[in-house]
Amino acid sequence: MLPYFVIAPILIAIFLYAFSSNKAAKTIAILAQFILTAFSIRLFFQAREGELITNIGNYESIMGIILRADTISAVFVALTAISFLIAALYSYSENEGKLFWFLIFIWQGLLIGIFLTRDLFNIFVLVEVAAVVVAVLIMYNRDNRSMYDGMFYLMTGIIAMQFYLFGLGYVYRLTGALDMEVAAQVLSEIDRSSQILPYALIITGIGLKCAILPLFSWLPKAHGSPSAPTCVSALLSGVHIKSGIYLYMRVQPLFPAIDASEFFLVVGIITGITGFVLAMSQSDIKLLLAYSTISQVGLIMASLSISGEYAQVGALYQAFNHSLFKASLFMCAGILSKVYGTRNVDDIRGVIRRFPVIGAAMIMAILGITGAPLFNGSISKYFIMYGTTWYVTWLLMIVNLGTIIVFVRFSTMLFGRYDDVKEDSALLRRMQKMDTDVHRRDETVAPRNYSESVPKNKQFVIIVLGLVCLAGGIFGSQFITFLWGIEVSVETAGYLEKVAIFAGSVAVGILLYRYVVAKNVLLRKLRGIDFGFRGTCAALGGFFAAVLIVLGFFAK
Amino acid sequence: MNFEIVELFAIAMFFISLFGLITSKGVIKGIISMITMEIAVVMFFLSIGFQTGILPPIGRDVGDNVADPLPQALMITAIIIGVAVTAVNMTMLIALSRQFKTTEWDILKKKKME
Repeated sequence: MLPYFVIAPILIAIFLYAFSSNKAAKTIAILAQFILTAFSIRLFFQAREGELITNIGNYESIMGIILRADTISAVFVALTAISFLIAALYSYSENEGKLFWFLIFIWQGLLIGIFLTRDLFNIFVLVEVAAVVVAVLIMYNRDNRSMYDGMFYLMTGIIAMQFYLFGLGYVYRLTGALDMEVAAQVLSEIDRSSQILPYALIITGIGLKCAILPLFSWLPKAHGSPSAPTCVSALLSGVHIKSGIYLYMRVQPLFPAIDASEFFLVVGIITGITGFVLAMSQSDIKLLLAYSTISQVGLIMASLSISGEYAQVGALYQAFNHSLFKASLFMCAGILSKVYGTRNVDDIRGVIRRFPVIGAAMIMAILGITGAPLFNGSISKYFIMYGTTWYVTWLLMIVNLGTIIVFVRFSTMLFGRYDDVKEDSALLRRMQKMDTDVHRRDETVAPRNYSESVPKNKQFVIIVLGLVCLAGGIFGSQFITFLWGIEVSVETAGYLEKVAIFAGSVAVGILLYRYVVAKNVLLRKLRGIDFGFRGTCAALGGFFAAVLIVLGFFAK
Repeated sequence: MNFEIVELFAIAMFFISLFGLITSKGVIKGIISMITMEIAVVMFFLSIGFQTGILPPIGRDVGDNVADPLPQALMITAIIIGVAVTAVNMTMLIALSRQFKTTEWDILKKKKME
């Protein structure tokens, strides 16, 4: 039954494109999404009973392709289906043609395939095709930057996957198998020195898909591209980036002799810090959220590298939560940029007064991502920091403080009065004029007097996401036990300590924002930091060399 | 580790292509480097388990002395994807060069900011 999860969305996509009219497409799409979600939740309940395995074509495991659904992959499949359902509901009020739905369904099938497959070459094919689909979706609403963004994303992605394919060749040469489990068994009997090269090649490819430190330049272009429809940005940051993290998790046990967790802990934390520093300097809402995704990915990577079951579960839960609140935030940003006719954070004011519903949803999502008590982010961060050594805890707290500062900046949109151009905003504008990097106005969206009303379906979707963030915090440990079957509990004393730390960080964050970040000219200079295409290629080579050196490939 | 000559050649070609990607200013040269990178990987795969004198795995009764068919099957897939990706890239490049009147990465980066 597992192959149907991959093939069904693709068949629906073809059906929509071939037989449906542009108008009927979205209704059929939402119906299909409901059915897919129902089946994927059923799959999750089945996977809780025990791992499901399907041999495609009934070949032996060493030859055939195997799909498997254990709890981790079943949760990701359910998350994918739910996110796509939410995205479909969100874009019901927009009139996207059937081409859009065709691409969305193909993308969904490929993503579910990545989460289900156990075959290394299958992953290559699925990721590569997904890159083409996403590149087209990024450029969907044509705009003067979109071609560059799409091409940058596609080319860097393809080059990274060539690294992956090369490493895969080495694995095949060493083991004669493409199945992950079989290859891992054979590799455990092979000496460590010959495993380093394939590991470094594969992890370089996957590292770019995860957007860790030197390899992140594609992410703001893809996730923050103004030409991408809002729901595509939400899905990119919500689900697509998780496929990279998922692959990272799956590749580690493939090489039992290699332990690079310390290296990735360092890289993850540096990624987290760089991400929020760059996010602070942005004034475009979408770019701010995109850079914040980099920071969150760094946090998840770092916590995956911390040993101990609690940190692992915390990382999984953080990845799960990140999809919820980041999707919500991107959707809010999409609504706001359309209503206000600008994407500049400093020009949007008074959201609560004008749109109380959106304001409430935004507040819930912001509280979720900053890890406020009673919200889902706090539970995952509690488990990540549970039992870490003190310096790791401090570094993770700095990453969280940075996230708070970024979202203090984000939440300035909530307050104030509409029409009222604040003084500091005017000051900023003057400084920006001095810079060559002028903030960009969006030509594709309507002018300022766009209709005041926000479609009901969009309001409904973001409110539901916000409430799920709240529920995920109140029933945090039960939720984790339900999803991954791991018994965890939150100690009240430790949790209260975290609450105190959160309150302290918010106070420090607001002060830092007001007096250091808000008017910092130096920070605005950082905005343009971008490796460019050639720089990213050099970073790929450099990252590959760094992994080789850290693992002692050259040490004899 | 003893490398066959083809493997060594493939590895050298892979990293020369990476060097080409880093140093070439034009997008077209970048795409060409990407293609040579793909070819290097294909060459590497085909060299896996290669011995002189073995038969290609075609037909029913070829005996035991046959080459491993799996890498070849994989590489046909990889080549097809490579062709599709190159086509998409070329299409985007045409649109890009019409819009910005240039095909250099650095100039594109500057121009798209405006």
